[in-house]
Amino acid sequence: MNGVHDMGGMHGFGPVVVEKDEPVFHSRWEATVRALMTLALRRYFNLDEFRHAIERMPAGDYLRASYYEKWLHAVETLLLEKRVITPQELTAGRASSPPAQPTASHAERPPLRALFKVGDRVVTRNLNPTGHTRLPRYARGREGVVRTVNGPFLLPDTNAHGGGPDWEACYAVEFTAGELWGAAEFESDTVCIDLWESYLIGEENT
Amino acid sequence: MTDRMKDREIADLDGAAALPRRNGELVFQAPWEGRAFGMAVVLNEKGEYPWDDFRASLIGAIRTGGPEYYENWLNALQSLLERTGLVTADEVALRASEYQALQRDPVF
Amino acid sequence: MNDAHDDHDHNHNHDHGDGHHPEAPNAVEARALALESLLLEKGVLTSEEIDRVVSYYEHDTGPMIGAQVVARAWTDPDYRRRLLEDAPGALKELGFENAARTELVVLENRPGVHNMVVCTLCSCYPWAVLGLPPTWYKSAPYRSRAVSEPRKVLSEFGCELPEDVKVNVWDSSSDLRYMVLPERPAGTDGWSEQQLTALVTRDSMIGVARPQVPTSSPA
Repeated sequence: MNGVHDMGGMHGFGPVVVEKDEPVFHSRWEATVRALMTLALRRYFNLDEFRHAIERMPAGDYLRASYYEKWLHAVETLLLEKRVITPQELTAGRASSPPAQPTASHAERPPLRALFKVGDRVVTRNLNPTGHTRLPRYARGREGVVRTVNGPFLLPDTNAHGGGPDWEACYAVEFTAGELWGAAEFESDTVCIDLWESYLIGEENT
Repeated sequence: MTDRMKDREIADLDGAAALPRRNGELVFQAPWEGRAFGMAVVLNEKGEYPWDDFRASLIGAIRTGGPEYYENWLNALQSLLERTGLVTADEVALRASEYQALQRDPVF
Repeated sequence: MNDAHDDHDHNHNHDHGDGHHPEAPNAVEARALALESLLLEKGVLTSEEIDRVVSYYEHDTGPMIGAQVVARAWTDPDYRRRLLEDAPGALKELGFENAARTELVVLENRPGVHNMVVCTLCSCYPWAVLGLPPTWYKSAPYRSRAVSEPRKVLSEFGCELPEDVKVNVWDSSSDLRYMVLPERPAGTDGWSEQQLTALVTRDSMIGVARPQVPTSSPA
């Protein structure tokens, strides 16, 4: 989805603020959320569902929320949607039903089958799905070169929505700054993005 | 207790009680600091006290203590162990004076 | 802390070390010794248990894993080659079995090429080798700007790159995790792996800084 989470190239967020000697967690609840997420992941939801639950936050909330607030939101959302907990239990803070059975399935990874090879020129599709995708907006409809061939990995676009398993080759595709940003100050600088095979079109087909 | 849960509890120390880190890494400036750290963690793992009790003791020690983080840590550990009855102030003082007088071989 | 002296074996009281104190321990150290020896005698814990905890937190979590890998790659060209070809295998060689489960890719900085890592869509981070990410890495300013104006971001981190150095930004969008192998700083010939490890910062392995040699020379 074309959400506010897709931040590459956006303007107006100001300089990067570095906190000196930052502690790993700022308060106890952050650590609790991290532990919760780790325990629930792969039992009740997968990483793509988790990411998409964060992306579905209203844009204003997303920008205001701290990192672990987003995590908490996603864990709550998914546990409710998957009926691991009920809204009543969440409000009461007490369980009123037995624990749910783990629901997530584990798919066996098949051998790699790749359409493209290192050095191939590819163009990214101009996709604008309303669901989850890992093709960032700033890299749609752009031409790049395959640098490495990896995977297969599960296609996030279906894995986040109960579909698949769609195992696909995933390529590190290199784009020049000029291709991505127009007249970039340093045109030869590059950005490499890991892109699933179905995000790409071979150059001879364009 | 799994390492991950332990990580979480240790990482939980925040504010003035946060562990000294450089570049995200725990920093011990001398072996005794590491030993004091390790003792507190192992004793908690063995159920001698809940981690929250140690943290409360540490925050108290920092409030009343000097700038040296692990000196406060050690004070916190000792006073907690005195309260739980594992050691007495007298036996620690006696043993420490023996170490200072070089009457004992170091354990680390 | 900006010195290279404080490697993990450092202890000014043990420099002549045969396991005995040449000088008396100070009051605090004596108290730590007293406490540990009493607890050992009472059978509450063992020395090995403390060793295990200290070693775990000093060496097995956080950016220390990445730093050890980098220092080994700086001193052993064959290891460097294996690390760049198969990072999980190279992690296993050093005993980092847990970290080796991550599909890690190591990016080599070399003269004329500087790599830097970001995740614009969320906050993917090679935590298995670098620990948990700093807040700035997860922030909107870093995620939005690292891909479109990496040199400005780098200069805000105090890392000014000459024009003839090419910047490669890696937007981690898949299951792969990226870590940068920084260039070994000049003036470190003959340094031990342990001394070098102390130079490798977390930020240099994200690619927003370069390792610096402290102005005071190492002990």
